[in-house]
Amino acid sequence: MIIQRYAENALRIVFGSRIDMEVHERVRRAFFLLISMHRNDIIEIIPSFCSCLVIYEGNRTSYDTLADLLKASLADLSDVEMPPPQVHVIPVRYGGDYGPDLSFVAKHCQLTDAEVIERHCAEIYTVFTVGFTPGFPYMGTLDESIAAPRLETPRTRIPAGSVGIAQRQTGIYPFESPAGWRIIGRTEVRLFDPALPPYSLMQIGDKVRFTEEV
Amino acid sequence: MTPAITVRNPGLLSLIVDLGRSGFGAVGVPSSSALDRFACQALYSLLACANAPVLEVLGPRFALQFDADVVCAIAGAKVKAFLDDTPLRPWASFQAKKGSLLRVKEIGEGFRYYIGFAGKIKAEAVMGSYTTNLECRFGGLNGVPLKSGDILHLEDSREMGTNVVPLNLIPPMNSPHILRVMEGPEADSFTVDSCRHFWEKGSHELFSVSTNLNRTGIRLEGTPLVFRPEAPKSIISEGIVPGTVQIPGDGLPIIQLHERTIGGYARAAVIARADQDRLAHLKAGDLVCFEKITMEEGERLWMEKQKRIAKLQSLTGSPSTSE
Repeated sequence: MIIQRYAENALRIVFGSRIDMEVHERVRRAFFLLISMHRNDIIEIIPSFCSCLVIYEGNRTSYDTLADLLKASLADLSDVEMPPPQVHVIPVRYGGDYGPDLSFVAKHCQLTDAEVIERHCAEIYTVFTVGFTPGFPYMGTLDESIAAPRLETPRTRIPAGSVGIAQRQTGIYPFESPAGWRIIGRTEVRLFDPALPPYSLMQIGDKVRFTEEV
Repeated sequence: MTPAITVRNPGLLSLIVDLGRSGFGAVGVPSSSALDRFACQALYSLLACANAPVLEVLGPRFALQFDADVVCAIAGAKVKAFLDDTPLRPWASFQAKKGSLLRVKEIGEGFRYYIGFAGKIKAEAVMGSYTTNLECRFGGLNGVPLKSGDILHLEDSREMGTNVVPLNLIPPMNSPHILRVMEGPEADSFTVDSCRHFWEKGSHELFSVSTNLNRTGIRLEGTPLVFRPEAPKSIISEGIVPGTVQIPGDGLPIIQLHERTIGGYARAAVIARADQDRLAHLKAGDLVCFEKITMEEGERLWMEKQKRIAKLQSLTGSPSTSE
């Protein structure tokens, strides 16, 4: 674990430098431990693949004080109380207008459309982090045989519910938004509701399986 | 009856904002804060209404009509504004009489301006804030920009004396913008030469603001930064703070504002908190240069800025808004 300063009021707690389950597990444990500390000098905790970003109240603490405290508190992550991961089954309509890039992915991977769909549905994915837009789950790990590069030029607008893939990741766009991932399908499941805690359907560590809706 | 204020013309874009949401970064909810937080705090001080929703406006021709006597204030970009035919002083509060029309004709210095009221505009509080998240369409007035004909209802409207922000507290907002920056987490992904051009005093590379700018980010044009041959052109997506300068594969900086919690491009630099309000006033064609400072210098500048915020707050003895 490395603690590195990022801004006047922000630091990163870094647990590794690659996407894998072991690094993810430590990030997740650290995140829930940080929450359980209920510190009034911590304003924001943003966990991602390899790190937790902590934004703090500079008038209540200093970088040195907080970094020392976190180093000590996070040294042992073996005994952290965490909510059990939820399992989500997401029905998806693949291809056509729902998934304009399905055929590109199939061609790129030298597979048929049906094979791409089958392999996308075969995996149980882990939500590594939630962000980009509210409720957007970054999920892995995608079967290498259907990995595809991001678009050279991102689309300026894609519909809410679009399911995308990029390299070894897959994700769902909760809102109409710009998108650089290859869109292979769309779901009607609502991923984010600003009126209903905990707001995001997907939380870090959750498990996701896609099913084909025809 | 709560006073009603009718939007006669929303300008190019007007939104309800406040100092933003916090605490929901883990589910990807950004702050969506007013971009010029100092101007927003000036309104709070002039109107003694901490954390109330205010309007953030872009462009001229903005107009509001009042159906009751209301105390208002303007801050941010220096605008030529009129109440009927009376010119209004920027960064000051004023009394709008029933039936009067507030019009903004021209913008002198800066880009975004802010209008607040003594009272509380009825707006949608979502996750602890009234601010509008435009992309996701929540907060503010049904999550969308104000339109001609929209009616703002002012709850707890109060009579109060008018006040002005002293000139020495009004920051400069014109191009060229000198932005002080600290090294970002991936600063060493770039060649020593290109970093020196990017941010070293004396060898200032001038960037210009492209037309690709909105509340999410500002794209700059100029000499691209050069990645070291071994450095990856994107990073494993990670949390970002507002003011992060990200460098995509083409080497041209993108300044992130308050609408993203996670980013996947190399973070070359972070703009000093003390200079971030200036980002509200970057417009297409403006010139920008970066000047590298240490984290300690950034902290010191922020403490000075907080002193200026405290001076604002002493104008009317309004309750302080925490930062």
